[in-house]
Amino acid sequence: MKKTMTLNLTDAEMRVLDDLSTRKDLSKTAVLRQALRLYQAVEVRVEKGDKLVFENENTREKAELMLL
Amino acid sequence: MIDSSTIFLVAGDTLEPVEAELRDGIEEQQLVDWQTQWQPALTEILRELARHGVPMADWPQSWHWDWRQKRAGVAGLLAFPGFSIMADDVTQGLAQVDLTRSARSAEHQGKPLAYVDYLEVAPWNRSDRGNVPRFKGVGTALLTAIAALSVDEGFKGRLGLHSLPQADDFYRRTGLIDLGPDAAYQGLRYFEMTEDRARAFLEEE
Repeated sequence: MKKTMTLNLTDAEMRVLDDLSTRKDLSKTAVLRQALRLYQAVEVRVEKGDKLVFENENTREKAELMLL
Repeated sequence: MIDSSTIFLVAGDTLEPVEAELRDGIEEQQLVDWQTQWQPALTEILRELARHGVPMADWPQSWHWDWRQKRAGVAGLLAFPGFSIMADDVTQGLAQVDLTRSARSAEHQGKPLAYVDYLEVAPWNRSDRGNVPRFKGVGTALLTAIAALSVDEGFKGRLGLHSLPQADDFYRRTGLIDLGPDAAYQGLRYFEMTEDRARAFLEEE
């Protein structure tokens, strides 16, 4: 059972949503649902004390993403 | 609240259709079945294999999977839905999906897909070693449910998985594309179902 809500976005936010929707071949709703899943998954790991790290496959350089 | 729908499996002995229930979730009842019914049946199979001197490499390759642990690790997370199939009041198959992954095939690279983290049928439903499974079609039904989930999530049926070697042929027969061994994942072969193949697969099923 899905529920409906109204979302107010700025032009910049809407552009990002449009861009992600195109690049990921997803509807805008699907992008936001995917974002929610990812945000929750990251949040739970960070709460457990894990760090979110990005690693460049070529250079092996690592960058930690700070979540406040 | 878990959604469920009626599906049909095939009785391994009579080849008659058997009504079963596909559940959009894995709950305590399924984990209890895994513990109290799957584990003893699997232990018996492993004992038999050991008695006949069958090398460990030929044992069911998912024998060490701990479903209770797997589900506890993703409890409450939206990104890791589970599926189960019930027939004769017993769990016949389980699957766990990861919705955070992206496609690797050149055609769809970077687009999200439903990644099959784990898919296993009850030990008595395995058709290897010349056994007649109690129910046929459990694995296919789980894969169908995952492809349908991929469609529902807007992923257009795309799905991916790393296959245990004993299941490679099953996934090839099911129409997944073999993208070869993945050195970063214990050398297991990585398979993907593209949008076109998913559409054909879902129409067929």
